[in-house]
Amino acid sequence: MAEVVLQGVSKSYQGRPTVHGVDLAVADREFMVLVGPSGCGKSTTLRMVAGLEEITAGRLLIDGRDVTHAEPQKRDIAMVFQSYALYPHMTAYRNMAFGLLKTSKLPKAEIDRRIGEAAEILHITHLLERKPNALSGGERQRVAIGRALVRQPKVFLFDEPLSNLDAKLRTHMRGELKRLHKELGLTVIYVTHDQIEAMTLGTRVAILSEGRLQQVGAPMDLYMRPANTFVATFIGSPEMSLLRCALRPNGAGSVVHHPRFDTHIPGALERAEPGDILLGVRPEEVTLSPPETPAMARGTVERTELIGSEALAEIRMGDDRLMARTPVMQAPDVGAEVGLSFDMARVRLFDAATGRALARL
Amino acid sequence: MVTGPALRAHVREAGLAYLLLAPSLVFLAAFTYWPIIRSVWFSFHDVMLGSDKIFFLGLENYQRLWTDALFWKSLANTAFYTLVTIPSAIACALLLAVALDSKLRGMTFYRSAFFYPVMIPSVAAGMVWVFLYAPGYGPINHALALFGLPKLEWLYDSNTAMIAIIIMSIWKYSGYFMLILLAALQMIPSDLHEAARLDGVSAWNRLIHITIPLISPTLYFVIIIGLLHSYQIFDYVYVMTQGGPADATNVLTFYIYQNGFQYQDIGYASTLANVLLLFVGGLITLVALVFGRRVHYLGR
Repeated sequence: MAEVVLQGVSKSYQGRPTVHGVDLAVADREFMVLVGPSGCGKSTTLRMVAGLEEITAGRLLIDGRDVTHAEPQKRDIAMVFQSYALYPHMTAYRNMAFGLLKTSKLPKAEIDRRIGEAAEILHITHLLERKPNALSGGERQRVAIGRALVRQPKVFLFDEPLSNLDAKLRTHMRGELKRLHKELGLTVIYVTHDQIEAMTLGTRVAILSEGRLQQVGAPMDLYMRPANTFVATFIGSPEMSLLRCALRPNGAGSVVHHPRFDTHIPGALERAEPGDILLGVRPEEVTLSPPETPAMARGTVERTELIGSEALAEIRMGDDRLMARTPVMQAPDVGAEVGLSFDMARVRLFDAATGRALARL
Repeated sequence: MVTGPALRAHVREAGLAYLLLAPSLVFLAAFTYWPIIRSVWFSFHDVMLGSDKIFFLGLENYQRLWTDALFWKSLANTAFYTLVTIPSAIACALLLAVALDSKLRGMTFYRSAFFYPVMIPSVAAGMVWVFLYAPGYGPINHALALFGLPKLEWLYDSNTAMIAIIIMSIWKYSGYFMLILLAALQMIPSDLHEAARLDGVSAWNRLIHITIPLISPTLYFVIIIGLLHSYQIFDYVYVMTQGGPADATNVLTFYIYQNGFQYQDIGYASTLANVLLLFVGGLITLVALVFGRRVHYLGR
């Protein structure tokens, strides 16, 4: 069992708060991804879990033990750094062995066995005698992961470990990390600014913005049911379009009024009173049609982007712009008038003032 | 083969390079290489300061070295001074640098404070330490008395005089070495230390196995600079002890000065100077052989 619980964990630098009361429970064998834009406090949060940053307020429990103020080495964790942090004057073998040699009473044979095993899992057996400067970025990354593995800690912390790799290698290492997590049953807390990495790796994803936890959930949950406009626009590429509309109750449902269209939303909403809302539409929830056919609304194509089998079109509707995804063969011409229909069962509504999602009852 | 216009361009470029080098070359020749050549030539002659008469002696000056007890004593003193001062000063400087390599408040003040001795002219520093070591009223003996320790004669006792000069030199050198080592420490990425801390490696083991190997090129540089400084020690001896008591602090440079300018025996002084040059050259070669191979250059 290796459960990590953050209870109201906060961090201030010289009285200036940077992380605000984060509550998060990472279950045993879970792959928890902390994601957010730069400066959102995700790395600081991870470093507080590691013990490299003092926790200003709140509690941190690992396996039920309060380690809020424990020294890093007393927390039974291992960390993989963005820069890999390999000791440049030591061979890959020595990099992996160093911590064990200096801190544990493990016999040499056991250390050898662990390194051999980790090297095999990571396919670096042939690289063990090389120093870091003779290794490629991906190989260094594997050695850094190996150094964490041989420690056999309760929790693995990863701080943007793939961001120094090129795109192809990143995709490959993502797959490797996923495999390791599954095969070895590791408990992982992983920090990234890349939402694709977060979505593909995480069992659950925690989204941070400006030092506050915005939402925690399974990747598809976040995608389908974002708690607020920040999560809605952060997850998904291209991002969700937000159209400013007015909400008017109408019988059993509501009417969403936009200067270019009116549409009916069946069923009750969390909020009944009229007011400004934001209508959140993902590119794949927009259907484009020729201008002469009936449609919910009309707009003008501003720009198109071909991305292989699909095309993205940016459509202007009055003051609003929104993105639509279409099969590449049906991509409209720039400047053309098009009809638009939204998948009203899937679109989301947000309170325009607070950005909070309005639940459909 | 470079021919035609390319050759002319090449000559022009080389000509400009030599033109720019010329002033330095002239000074180097006049004040470094020519004196070395002269001192080698003098060492085979009997030359007295202020006299035009020069007699060829062959190897006589060098033979004299073997039986000159004071030469051996001054050589031993120089070696003792160097071998104690430089490692101690570097060790102090390293500990200071590690302590001052933090982002705590007031670090700039402490760094300046520890560097301050370097800025004091050596003659002035020597005078201050003569006062500090004074057996009767000196603050150091007062401090020893406070702890119930016996008072020492310091510069007036042949057993402690060299130690006294060494202590002062460590004080003077440490700040200088500290500054160079501090710059090297700040080049070490902080995540290397963090990785080791997470691994539970103790501060001592981090110093020995991570910090020192990673600053080894700078340490190597500091050792060489230290050796070059320390064998030239003259000013402290001149100001504080005049080589005494009983030649306990008579180092080679001071003995050269005595022979050349007090006994006016330029021939023998030149012989001693040549021996000093060989001694330092040998020491640096030894250091290069022992440490040179262990230096780890980042990124190579």
